[in-house]
This record gives sequence, structure tokens and C-alpha cells, in this order.
Amino acid sequence: MTVMSVPRPAWAPPRSARALRLEFKRNAVPYVLPLLAAVFYFDTLRTADGFPPVWTLRASAITNHMLFEFSVFAAGLGAWAGSREGRTKTVDLVAATPRAPWARRSIALAGALCWMLLAFLAGVAVLYIQTALQATWGGPPLWPVFAGAAGVTVVTVLGFTAGVLFPGRFTAPLVAIGVVLLDQVGFREALNVTGTGGASILPSPPTSATYALLSPANSPPLLDGGVYYHLAPDVSIVQVMFMGGIAVALFGVLGLMPGLRELGSAGGLRSLRAVFTRGDGWLSRAVAVLLVGCGIAASGTAFALAGTAQVDTVTGGWEIPALHSAASDQPVPAAPDCTFSSGFQVCVHPAFGFYLHNVAAALDPVAAQIAGLPGAPVRAQEVASVSGGQDVQSGISGNPPVFEFTAERVGTLFGEFYGYDPVVWPEEFQQGLLEAFLTGPSQYAGSAPNLLDPAQLVVADVLLTAVGSQPMHASNSGQPALKSGLATEIFAAAQRFARLSASARHAWLATHLTALRVGQITLAQIP
Amino acid sequence: MTAAAGVLKPPAAPAGAVRRCPAGIRLTWLHLRTRRVPAGILALAVCGALLHAALHWHWGFNSGPYAQQAPMIIEAGAAAVIAATAHSPFGETERSAGRWLPCLRLLAAIGLTGLAILALQLGAAGENLNDGIAVLARNVIGFTGLGLLCSLVTGGLLAWILPMGYMVFCQYALLEAWKAPWTWPVRPPADRGAWICASLVFAAGLLLFTLRGPRTRLSDDS
Repeated sequence: MTVMSVPRPAWAPPRSARALRLEFKRNAVPYVLPLLAAVFYFDTLRTADGFPPVWTLRASAITNHMLFEFSVFAAGLGAWAGSREGRTKTVDLVAATPRAPWARRSIALAGALCWMLLAFLAGVAVLYIQTALQATWGGPPLWPVFAGAAGVTVVTVLGFTAGVLFPGRFTAPLVAIGVVLLDQVGFREALNVTGTGGASILPSPPTSATYALLSPANSPPLLDGGVYYHLAPDVSIVQVMFMGGIAVALFGVLGLMPGLRELGSAGGLRSLRAVFTRGDGWLSRAVAVLLVGCGIAASGTAFALAGTAQVDTVTGGWEIPALHSAASDQPVPAAPDCTFSSGFQVCVHPAFGFYLHNVAAALDPVAAQIAGLPGAPVRAQEVASVSGGQDVQSGISGNPPVFEFTAERVGTLFGEFYGYDPVVWPEEFQQGLLEAFLTGPSQYAGSAPNLLDPAQLVVADVLLTAVGSQPMHASNSGQPALKSGLATEIFAAAQRFARLSASARHAWLATHLTALRVGQITLAQIP
Repeated sequence: MTAAAGVLKPPAAPAGAVRRCPAGIRLTWLHLRTRRVPAGILALAVCGALLHAALHWHWGFNSGPYAQQAPMIIEAGAAAVIAATAHSPFGETERSAGRWLPCLRLLAAIGLTGLAILALQLGAAGENLNDGIAVLARNVIGFTGLGLLCSLVTGGLLAWILPMGYMVFCQYALLEAWKAPWTWPVRPPADRGAWICASLVFAAGLLLFTLRGPRTRLSDDS
């Protein structure tokens, strides 16, 4: 009896499982995990920690930061695993084994890929646990995880295939920089079609948006993205389809590699016919060709679908008509979190419940100063930052008047709510409320907030000073720069007005508020 | 002439050997070939071409903190290529064979670093390189120092890991506008502390790499 003829015990695991266990054991990825963990902590975790604890926003760190740092190592270590046979000069040695080259390489690829996916999912778990401990509403979105996992997979397979094709010592670093450069190009394209500040928070018209939408790296979504409306998964589906298609096609190429090598060495139509008509391994070749075809078809379809993307007229995000579900345009029901103190009610969406008391503490003193005056709001309410496909500004509207603000805008302040600032926040909320009150009720949706004229600025400054905040003309927040002469006049008028008692100021405002709002009060007319 | 003098006199060199290059040059050439330095030079040229393409077709951003991202990736790639040339196929056997090995390592590392800077500079010629050539040179020497240091631990073939990992961290530091001198790739060209840090890392990497050489097991076995 020879060693080869010893029967395998019934309890023994399959040979491929044993080979996979060996791959796990000897893989290079675990050596890189400490470095990857350090980069993950600094780049992904700290960046996400700077965002408000809103699920959609925090989850954007997966595709914007995590995928970038994982791509470098996934591509490099994939190439490292793929180039092993060539690097160690064992191509001829392993070719003599009964296992098919595709199966052998699949196990090596699975070893590297499983380690990378395991590390990736561990990172996602850390990110989501941290968010779960801080978030006040909602649950973990899964599509960014799918897109991220698809990204890690395609990059690993790409690196592995490059390693098999070019088993040199420079393959790993060159593939790594190639992949991160691709990521950067996609990120740049993506930023070109998304609002990153300035005039609009909405995506630009989809000119040359195909490449941009296929890039998982993108600018963070709106602060309340996925809060008032479901975030449509259309773009994520297309990304997963595109990257998954490339990965499947490359995996098929790995299966065709021996035949391609023969073609490369022999060349000619006759050898091509010989490769396809050879009796052995026809099934694996057929499966490989099928995989290549399916992969290309999936990626091509995804590319074509991305080209049909258009701006959603309801939520302001991207929608792909062939994939879009009307259900995602329906508002998400949620009872607002409210607090009622000093006769002024402040309500925010439960997703932003973590700053409810900070907002109330900022608004209450100003609301008390203007209480009882015509048009003074009785309530402050947070609303969606996009409505009917348009940006929403903050302002006072309705009867009884309600001060409405969004997670993106309060007064002239825009896009600075990524972290609670105990100095800036209260002042900006107070200024936003006073601006809206002194300029009067307005159709705020889609229109920029009004700036205060000098007389309105004096009143705002005095009221702000009365509640212990910095005057607006000093902070100059959102207001145009004042000429020195005008600033002196405003300062003098403000001093005069501040010398009045609170009741006298209140009475003067009650009488002159209408004229003040339409700009008919001059600095000299302020008592 | 005595018999002894005839024995002690070195034999005349064969006619074909007269034209052979000096032993030092041949040794150097063999050393460089075993490290795949010619292919490494080609890889550095590819990095230069990549930088040219990135700047010419605006793969990155033209201004602001993002503008340094694409050049930094390519600089780290060039340093990773240099680190990969640290690997020797002979391992410990080579170390016992001669005393010139440290000098050859030093020569190869310095020469390749200079060539990397030259290749990237040529790649950036005629294009708008944000922060100029000085930052490029500083980043290359700093990343190369990290790669050489990493080769002492992982061996030459996996020595690309540390420069690439540090590059990824620096992408974050770039956007967060870190000011610490040890984040030299994100600092402006006039930052003296950044130059000192990059030079120190390069000097330490070069010194240890010259004296000790890269690790010959670990990564090379797997």
C-alpha cells in the first residue's frame, strides 16, 4: 500500500478546505492588519467621528475613506498572492500536480480576499457600533457596505490577476498606486457633479456623470440625507453591478490563463483552434468563458444604466429610472423631538435629537426678547433641507408664525453643522432667527436669505447683546462688510438703542416693526 | 630570472580577458542585476509617465489641498519601487561572500533615489506641479527612507507596504491640514521641520539598510 492509496478518513475536511486553511495561515494580509488598523483609525474613524451621528452620513465614510485605504493593500496584497508561483519559480512544479490551475489560483485568491473582506467588515462593525452608540434615530444602511465590499473584491481580484500575469517584484506596488490613482480620478469626477458647498447643495445636471456615478468615492451626502426621505439605492446598485461584473470577468480570465499562455507562446490560428478543441478541461474553459461574458455584460449594463441617471425631483438625489422605486420618494414617518421651555417650542427631527437642547438653549432667550411682537414665531421647527427638488432656506412662515430651519442652513449659515461648536452654533441660531424675524415672513424655499439693512442690523445687534451674544456687525457673519463710516454710525445708533429699557425697546419695536421690515427706518430714526 | 620568480609572477592574462571591464564595475553591475535595478528604472520611468499623465489630463485637482493627492500617490509608488529593489535572491549566502555589499547597497539606494527624483521631475516638466519640485524631492526621499526601513522588517518584496500606508495616512493629514513636521508630505516647501524629518527618515533608512541589509526571510518565504 502506498501513501497515495491510503483511504481518507470519513471525518476529514475536503481537500479544498484544507488548502484554503493553509492559505489563511500563510497569507500576508495579517501582517498588514496593524498598519491597516492605524490608517483606519485616523482616516475613517476620526473623520466619521467628526460627522453628526446620522447613519447615512457616517456610512458615507465607508466608500469615501475606508475603501481608499483598503484598496491600496487589497490591490498590493492581491498581486503579491497572485505572483507567488512566478515569484518563487514554482510554476513548473505545481503544474505537475493533479489540481487544475484555476482551482489552485482560486484558493489562493480566496485566501487573500477572505482576509481583506474580514478586515473590511470588522472595520464596518467598529464604525457602525460607534454610530449606534451615538445615533438617536434610524438604523445602519447596508448599501454602502455592499458597495464597499464590492470595491474591495474587485480591487483584490484585479491585483491578483495582475500578479498572475506579471509575477515581478514591482507588480504589487505598481498595481497599488494604479488602483488609488483610479480612485482619485473617480473622486474628482464625482465632486464635479455634486454640490460641495456654495450656491447649491443639489447635484449638477448629469453632464458626463457616468464615470462619476460609478465611482464609490464621493462627497458626503446632505446632513439629513436619508432622514426625511429614503435614500434611493439606485446608484449603489449600479456601482455594485459594475464592480462585481469586472471582478467576475477577471475571475473568468484567470480560468482562461493556461490557454492564453499557450496562445501567447505558440501563436497562430491553428493553436487557437487547438486550445478550444482540446478534450481535457473543456468544462472549466466553458465556465471561464461564460464568466467573462457575464461579467462584461453586467459591467456594460451598469455603465449604460449610470448614463441614464437624473436628478430626483423629490429628494434631490440621483435616480436611475430603470431601477428607481417610487416608494423611496415617500417621506419617512417620524414624530419630531420637541422641547418646550419659556413659552417657546423647539422641534427637531429625531435623527437630530442629540442637539435639540443646544438649539433650544440658543433660541429661547432671543424668542423671549421678541415674544408678543407682530410676526414673532411661537415655535421653531427643523424641516428637510430639500423639498420638491429645491434647496430650502431658513425663515419664518405660517400662521401662527413658525421659524423653520434645516440641518444644512440656519439664516446665512450653511453647511457648518458637521460638529457641535458651543461658540458658533448658539450665535448662528440666534442670528438666523433674528434675521428671519426682522426681514419678515418670506417664501424661503429656493431663495437666498435677505440681508439686513443698517437699521435692522442695529436692532439685531442690540437684541443679541441683550441675551449675551456677540453683535452681528462685529462678527460680520453673513452680512456684507461695512464701510468704516457706516460701521461707526451703526455702533452709535446701537449704543443709543441699547440704553433704552427692555420694555421701551419692545414698545418701539411693536410700533415700528412693519416700517423696519420694509426698510423705511433710518439710523437717525432709531431712538 | 629564477625559478621562484617565474612561479611568483602572475600568469599572463588570456587575450580575451583584456577587454573585460574592471572587476568593480562588473561586481556593481551584477549586484544591480540581482536586484532587478534595470527593471526598477523602467518602473520609475512608468511612475514619471504616470505623473505626467496625471498632471496633463488633470486626474487630480488643480488647486487646494486635494491638488497634492495624485503627485503624492505617485511619489510613494516610486519610493515603493526603490524599496522593492532591496530584495536579493541570494539571501544570507551573499552576505558572507564579500565586504563590498554594504557599499553596493548604499550606491544602489542613493542612485535609484536620484533617478526617481529625476524621472518624476521629467514627468512634471511643462506641467503645473502644485508646490513645485522641492516638495516632490522631499517626499521621494522621505518615502524611500520609510521603504528602506520597512525592508529591514519585512524583506524587500513587501517593503512597499509602509510607504503606501503612510501615503494613505497623509491623504487624511492633507485634508485635515496637519501641521506637524513629521507629516512632511503635506507641508509646504519652505517648512524646515518637514525637510529635517524627511531627511532624518531617509538618513536612518539608508544607514540601517546599508549596514544591516534587508531581511532575507519572512516575506520571501511566504
